[in-house]
Formats: sequence, structure tokens, C-alpha cells
Amino acid sequence: MKAFFLIVTILASTLLPTSGVQSENARRLFSDLILKAGDEDALIDQLAETGDPYVIDLVAAVRIGGLLQDPVTPDKLIISLDNQYAYLLGGETFTGDPASLDKVRASRSLRKKFSRVVSLIELASPDYQARAEAAIKIGASQKEEFLPELRKRIDTQPTNTLKEAFREALSLSLLKNGTDAEKLEAIEALGDLSSVSGRDFLKTAREAYAQDESAKQYLAACDTALKKIESHEKRVEFIGTLFRGLSTGSVLLIVSYGLAITFGLMGVINMAHGEFIAIGAYTVYVVQNQFAKIFEPGTFGFETYFLWSLPFAFLVPAILGALMERGVIRFLYNRPLESLLATWGISMIIQQAIRLIFGAANVQVTTPEWISGSFELFGASMTYNRLAVIIFSVVVIFMTWVLLRRTNLGLQIRATMQNRNMASNLGIPARKINMLTFAYGSGLAGLAGAFLSQIGNVGASMGQAYIVDSFMVVVIGGVGNLVGAAISSMGIGMVDQLLQPVLGPVMGKISVLIAIILFLQWKPGGLFPSRSRSLDD
Amino acid sequence: MIKSKTFFSPENLAFIVLGVFVVVVMPVLNCLPVDNPLHLSTFQLSVWGKYLCYAVLAMSLNFVWGYTGLLCLAQNLFFSLGGYAFGMYLMLMIGPDPVYNSALPDFMDFLGYQKLPAHWVPFENFWFAIGAVMWVPGLLAFIFGYLAFRSRIKGVYFSILTQALTYAASLLFFRNDTTFGGNNGFTDFKTILGYSLRDPETMRAIFIASGLLMVFTYFLISWLLSTKLGKVQQAIRDSENRVLFSGYSTLSFKLLIFTLSAAIAGLAGALYVPQAGIINPSEMVPSKGLDVVVWVALGGRGSKWGPIIGAVVVNLLKSWATRAYPESWLIILGAIFVFVVIFMPNGIVGLPAQFKALRKKWSKQPEPSST
Repeated sequence: MKAFFLIVTILASTLLPTSGVQSENARRLFSDLILKAGDEDALIDQLAETGDPYVIDLVAAVRIGGLLQDPVTPDKLIISLDNQYAYLLGGETFTGDPASLDKVRASRSLRKKFSRVVSLIELASPDYQARAEAAIKIGASQKEEFLPELRKRIDTQPTNTLKEAFREALSLSLLKNGTDAEKLEAIEALGDLSSVSGRDFLKTAREAYAQDESAKQYLAACDTALKKIESHEKRVEFIGTLFRGLSTGSVLLIVSYGLAITFGLMGVINMAHGEFIAIGAYTVYVVQNQFAKIFEPGTFGFETYFLWSLPFAFLVPAILGALMERGVIRFLYNRPLESLLATWGISMIIQQAIRLIFGAANVQVTTPEWISGSFELFGASMTYNRLAVIIFSVVVIFMTWVLLRRTNLGLQIRATMQNRNMASNLGIPARKINMLTFAYGSGLAGLAGAFLSQIGNVGASMGQAYIVDSFMVVVIGGVGNLVGAAISSMGIGMVDQLLQPVLGPVMGKISVLIAIILFLQWKPGGLFPSRSRSLDD
Repeated sequence: MIKSKTFFSPENLAFIVLGVFVVVVMPVLNCLPVDNPLHLSTFQLSVWGKYLCYAVLAMSLNFVWGYTGLLCLAQNLFFSLGGYAFGMYLMLMIGPDPVYNSALPDFMDFLGYQKLPAHWVPFENFWFAIGAVMWVPGLLAFIFGYLAFRSRIKGVYFSILTQALTYAASLLFFRNDTTFGGNNGFTDFKTILGYSLRDPETMRAIFIASGLLMVFTYFLISWLLSTKLGKVQQAIRDSENRVLFSGYSTLSFKLLIFTLSAAIAGLAGALYVPQAGIINPSEMVPSKGLDVVVWVALGGRGSKWGPIIGAVVVNLLKSWATRAYPESWLIILGAIFVFVVIFMPNGIVGLPAQFKALRKKWSKQPEPSST
């Protein structure tokens, strides 16, 4: 651990001259340049050759007036960082009065050269992501001076992504600076690379060619390239929508799966379902606070809090659900409408109790490092927490399937849900089964809350936003059918995400609700209606 | 079930007394000089006026739920739609305001409207607005009801769908670009039919109108229940399939009842708005729809008095508890709810019968047998 901290400290302080032994060369060259001790062009070339990222910081320091000079000893440059003053060479701290120092300014021509050096160093950045971005930026600037540099570096790039980025940058630049043949090649290359940043340049080029009768060939090439880029963008957008739909659907799924059990299987209209979601989220909050007391926030130990909180997020609502079933629900199995009213009362009580205990404002749940951030898939950006929800929803489906279809308890649950009296006649402890099933459904709601705490706000009424949607999912899926609930939540999530870009979030949601009502005209029993010979089902 | 044998049943006579008290006595008390101990202030009168509107709302829900078995969670939506329709008229009666110097409602000036949207124009007419108060919710109920009843959606599913309808509508009204004032809704009303809403006389007239609406609704529902329609209606509640197999089209009966109850709720909403002085989408959120259900359940559903008692008791309790126990009011309400559902299935109105049954049980078995 100590070694880890040491490394972090060193990394954090590389900006200060005291620690950067490797930067000594760059620092000396820089100092010479500023103090005009030697041939400027030769020094600039040497500085660029160092490839030292520290130069970027130095140039930035000059720009913001962070490079200073003591009038007494003008040949010793002083650099200021975070109100600490140190000599550029050697790195000793400057102990005099900072107010007595003069700011060093670079001449216009030197600044221009510096910016070139910075670009070149960025082009060689050890961070591949930054290097690719720098290449595109330089290409988009279409400055002729970088053309040879880009050309020189393409083949030496270590990865394909980088090679493509450099080719894209080169093509962007060639669009303006190349010969006619090179221009044509560049247009085609931009199309092949589906360069999004090249689109505007291609459009401008196309307009110019459209004026010129003799450039039909170029015009056609531009059109093909633009079409390619457009189709690529559409594909990316489609994949993005697909992913967002999948993740919205997964959120709906884990939120409504508990309800599919309590409402769908047991026939209890649990209006307090949303509050069990909130309880799950608050359980995560409590566990997080306990972890924060033991571990420093940001450490490995603290980062794992979310995993440890999951069993609690299941158990706490499950126990409360079991109590609720024993105390209230069991009197109302034959009166579904009244179970709606009683659970609504319970939901009010829980909501207000949460407000009294944790305050009315939303609470802060930190997302661990390992599920924040995003990655790219086929050009579409996806966040890890959304991916985690998708994976988790699959786990929930699997877990429930195993419980219901592959265990003895599951058999008893299904028997009891089909016919309570018949099941207890056959020796199944129906009371216990009722309680366990309700507890399981409530526990799933709690788990949903745990995941929602990672992607949304945690407040006492957080569950209310999902309750209407969850009921819709269960009704559309076909009451009592868990597969139906899974399919319908994915379907609703997809439709929601497809409509949202077109209609906006609110109108999209309203259209989904209207679509659901119309869907029930066509299939009143949902996707998978329960078959029964009883008349009043 | 309570049968309405004659018009002069004790139940109806008691209601006539209540009606006279509300329509005559309370306004008279309001007319008394301020220093008289029996004086009822205009503020209190308008609070009671709001309760009367709630009572009518509860009666309209009781009509569909208590007597037909359709638990509608969109009753507050119909109430708010009536309120919005009448609120549109009241907004147009405000007249030019000094800030924007235009006759448009303030929020429209704010959003940069140059002229009144076409669907607002007819609301300058009072009678059109009164008509809209009934037909707008009625039409929505008709369309929704037709779709729902046609595909035999009933019981819990009907409740859930009506809740979804309410949710969708509230989302729509929370938006700014639907020309209904967004979050803030309508407020700052000034005049009605040329009379200032600050005058006690105007408020008294609106209060009397609310009282009359309650009396009218009571007798309308009583009369309907005594007709064949009412019999079919209650038969649908008790066993819809038998009614269906007897050759009745339950669709048209349910549709008529649902539409009528929505129109009544709309009227209640219209009278509520000038007395509350505001209408906004928070009246439309799904939880308000459940509140109405609480009133009816607590008072006693399927009874004529139940919804009135429930609406007044819960709201009195609310206004007292939100002052005395602001933090735990929701807990109290929730607990009452659970208690009522489990221990008082017939609500307050059903309590005497429940006690009677208990006493009978005890007198029959003075000592519980030890088996």
C-alpha cells in the first residue's frame, strides 16, 4: 500500500521541477531558448526530439505567465506552480519575495515555434488515445508544415487504430495541401475511414467542385465518401439506440421483475413496490457510509462496498416484505382491489419514514470507479454502469428461473400460486410459501434499487417514477408470465429509446403509454395470456 | 345493499337536512356581522366549498367504484380537466395585465405568444366553458372506456390502466409547450361573469353553487340507482358474467356510467378552481387519484353517505394533522388506510352494522367455547 501511495505522490508531483530527473534535458533546452543562449532553430529541433510531455506544461506556463525571472539573477528562470516557486534548472525552491519577480514573455515567432513543438510532442504522446486525438486535430488544422511529419509517422505507429487516425489526419491535410491526385486519394480515404471529422471538410470541398465543370470526378468521389460517412454514422447511431434501448429495458426489467412475482404470480397489487426499491437504494447508501468510516474513500476497500451491499439490499427489503405479507397482505388474498389500497397506505408510511430518517433531500451514493466511465463499441459510446445493469438483469432472470423451475421450493411456489387451497390440501405449507414468495419479490425490488442508486438519484420517492412503468411491463407481458415480463420490458425499453430522439422524452413516454393501451386492444391478455378454464380470471 | 325504496327514506331526509344546512344556513352564517360568535368567515366558507367539491368528486368515484365495481384511478384527472377547462375561462377574464400589456394569460406572454391559440378562443364564453367542463372529461372517459371495456379489461387491470392514463396526462400538463401553463398552471384569477372574486358575495354564490351541485349529484345518483340502469349497474358489480349471459351489453352500461361520472367529476373540478384560486398539474398526479379512493374507502363505498363523510373527514383530518404533525401526517394517513382496509371493509358508514354483528356474536356466545 505504501509503495502505491509513493508512486501516486511521485506521479502527482512530476509537474514540480524537483522530481523530474528525466526532464532535465528538456528543461535546459527550454531555458536556453528563452534566454537566447544558442541557435534558436537548432534548439527547437532538439526540444522536439526529446518528445518530453513536460515541455507542453512549460509552454503552457509561459502562456499564462507562470515563468518568471529574478531581476537580480536574470539567467536563472523560475517556474511557479500552485503558488510554489522553484528554479527551472536544479529545482531548488525559490525563497525570495515572489512579488519582486518579472514575468518572462516569449516573442511571437518563438511562441509559434513552441506551438509546433507542442504539436509534435503530442503526436508522439505515449498515451495512444491522446496521440490519436492530437493527430486528428493537426490534420483538421490543415497546416502544410505538418504534412511531412504525419506522412513520416504513419508506418511507425504501433496499433491499427493509431495508423487509421494518422491516415485520417493526413487525408484531412491533403484535402487542402495535396496535389490533385493526392486530393482524390484523400477523399476516397476519408470515405473508407468513415471520418466524422472529415465530413465538414468534404462538404466544403464538394461545394467548390460543384462550381467547377472540369471536376466531375472529384464531385462524384466526394458524394461517395459523404454517403459512406453518413451510413457509418447511421450505423453508429443505430447501435447506440440499440444499446440504450437494451439498458432502459434492463432497468425496467429488474424494476418490474419483483412485481412480476408479487403481482403477476401472487395477484397482490403491491403499490409499495416502488418503496422497496427505495429501501434497497438506501441500504446501499448505509453500507457505503459504513465503508467510508473504515476505509478512505477512493481506496480499494471502499471501492468494493457496492458488492458487499448487494446481499443487504436484497435481505433488508425481503425481511420487510415478509413482515408486510404476514401483517397485512395475507388478509387480502381474495380482495385484490383492497390489497392495492392497503399497500398504497404502506407505501406512504415507508416514504415518510425514509424522509424522517434520512432527510427529505436526495442522498449521495458514489459510483465505484470500476463501474463508472465508458467504452466504445463500433463507434458508439457505452457506459459501464449501464452495461452492469444489462448483465445484472440477465443474472436476475437466470436466478429466478433456477429458483422457480429447478428447485423444490419453486415447484411449491408455482403450485401455491396456481391454487392456494389445493396446494395446502396436498401438504404444501402455503402460508410459508406465500411469505417466502413475497419476500423474494420484495428482495428483487431492493436489488433493483441498489442498481438504480448507481444510475440515478436516490430519494424517498424514487420508486414512484417506476411504479406505473412496472405495472405496464407486467400487464403487457401477460400476468403471471416471467418470460413475458422480460420480453415486454425489453420491448418497451426499445420503443421508448426509438421514440425519444424523434418526439422528445415526455412525448415519447406518453406515446409509449398510448401504444400500450392500444396494444391491449389487440391482445387483452398481454403477450402470453394465462390460460385457464375459470371464467373470472 | 341499501335499497332506495321511496324518496322519503330516512337516509334521503337526513340528506335534505344536510343540503339545507349547506345551501342556506352556512351562507347565512357568513352574512352575519363579524363580531357575532356564529360568524363564518369567507375564507372558511371557501375551505368548506373546496370540501364540498371533494365530496362530489368522491361521489362520482363511488358511482363507478362502489356501485359498478370499476376502481378508477383517473377520477382526479377528470376533476382536474374540468378545473382546467374552467380555469381557461377565468384566465381569459383577467384582462390586460400591466407588465406585458396584453390580454393573453401571463405565461403565454412569457413564452412569446402573439395571439391566443385557436383552442383557447371559445373559452371566452362562460357557457362554452361550463359545457367543456363536462364534455372534455366525458369525452376522454368515453374514448378510454370504450377501448378498455371493449377488450374486457376489468378489475385490477382497469385500475392500472387508468393510473397510467393519469400519469401520461400529468406528464403532458407539466410541460410548458402545451399552452396550459406548465408547472404553475393557472392562478391569479380576478373575475367571474364580471363579479370580482375578492367580493364575499361572489364567493358565497360559488359556495352555494357547490352545495347545490352536491345535492343535485346526490339525487341524480339516487334516482339512477332506483332505475333499471342502477339495477344492471349493481348486477355488473356483483357478477358481470351473469349480466352478460342474461343478454345485456355490459359495455354500453359501463360506458354510460363511466362517462357520466367523469362529467360530474369535471363539474366538481370547475367549482373547485375559483375557491382554491389555483389549478396546476400536481392535482393530476397518480397519487391524488389514490387519495380520492381513500376518501371513498374510509367513508364507505357503495353507500350514498360514505363518500361525503369520507371526503370531509379525511380533509379535515389532513388540515389538522398537517399543522399539528406536519412530519408524520403521511404516516398517519397511511396507517388509517391500512386499518380501514383490514378492519373496516365497509368504512365509517358500515361501522354501526359491524358493531351490531359483533354484539350479536357476543350475546349468542357469552362464554367462548373452549375447543
